[in-house]
Amino acid sequence: MSTELDVFLANTALISLIAIIGVSLYGILARPNIIKKIIALTIFTDAANLLAILVGFRRPPSIPPVLLDLQPGPTEITRFVATAVDPLPQALVLTAIVIGMAVNLLIIFIALQLYRLYGTLDVRKVRRLRG
Amino acid sequence: MKKELLIATSLAITVVILAYIATLGGGLGPLFSDLRPLAEVFLGTTLNPEKRFFTAMSPEGVTAIVWDYRGLDTLFETAVFYLAIIGAVAIYRDISEKVGFKGGGLGLSKIVKVVTKLLIPINIAIAISIALHGHLTPGGGFQAGAAMAVVPMILIVVFSRYFLLGLKLSKSLALAFRSIGLAGIALTVFLPIIMALLSGFNAYIMQNQVKANAPVGFPAYVGNVLISGSLILYNVFEFLAVTFGFSILFLLLSIEEDLVKEQMRGEVGEH
Repeated sequence: MSTELDVFLANTALISLIAIIGVSLYGILARPNIIKKIIALTIFTDAANLLAILVGFRRPPSIPPVLLDLQPGPTEITRFVATAVDPLPQALVLTAIVIGMAVNLLIIFIALQLYRLYGTLDVRKVRRLRG
Repeated sequence: MKKELLIATSLAITVVILAYIATLGGGLGPLFSDLRPLAEVFLGTTLNPEKRFFTAMSPEGVTAIVWDYRGLDTLFETAVFYLAIIGAVAIYRDISEKVGFKGGGLGLSKIVKVVTKLLIPINIAIAISIALHGHLTPGGGFQAGAAMAVVPMILIVVFSRYFLLGLKLSKSLALAFRSIGLAGIALTVFLPIIMALLSGFNAYIMQNQVKANAPVGFPAYVGNVLISGSLILYNVFEFLAVTFGFSILFLLLSIEEDLVKEQMRGEVGEH
């Protein structure tokens, strides 16, 4: 694959991911319905996770960061470092996905309780009931 | 309408600036070609018997980072997970899941139930396998817990939540198992320090393998089997915590809305 095509594809992916982050932030800030805010928040989380994974990507031929030799010598380790992708973003994203799911469920519990108490999921109406 | 226009315009400007920084500005560093020096250190020491004081003794680079190199990071992520579930349980503090117990006979058709009964043991076996091999192959406590949490969710959908109550999987039991998992993680964190205090050496919090000035560590091998020291313990305990943490949330979410409202008004229940 040529370098120009590489750069073009990489930039397209980055720009579209940042655009998705912008759209999801618009959903979080401007939509009045809490369920739509939660959906926008999950899209935001996924876009941020994908961005992190993309930063750690390496041009093929690359392998996952798993050593296949259980008794590696210096040559195997050098070859591994020369071909494996960056494992750090993957480690951050893997915890972020599970923790994000738990936090999303907590937000859903709060939204459910809000609906039971106020009979609406519109934040403007919930605000007017204050006092 | 004017406010939404303002939000949209400011977000569009932010997106353009961020996209410029990420692409033409090179703000994300070298992309898709060179490895960052930090990643080279991680990859070079993840399973390297020659660098005894730096290696995590795990062929799986991601698990080595999650529970060894950046272990405290993961520890506090687990604290966030703990607090999120405690928050949900606190919202449901007055609502008992045992009200309105109807016994069996509920749920989807017999075909779905039989297929589910065949699939559930496979699902459990795969989840346990992911947890126990987390230090060797891609996987670990978080992924295994997420795979295992599918089981109570499918059981609730196919058999109804009363089936889980019939299996004695109540909120308090799940809370107990989740607490065992978290206590196990805490114990594994402090075990090297306790051992070092008893024997008069130095040790670090969340220490895995032996370090230059801290000779107390977890064994990398048991017999001929590579267990990567503390990584397998963390994976198993995190598996317990994640599985039963999500089980609590699914149990609470599946309570019928009528029963919840009745209990909130104080018509039925323990008060």
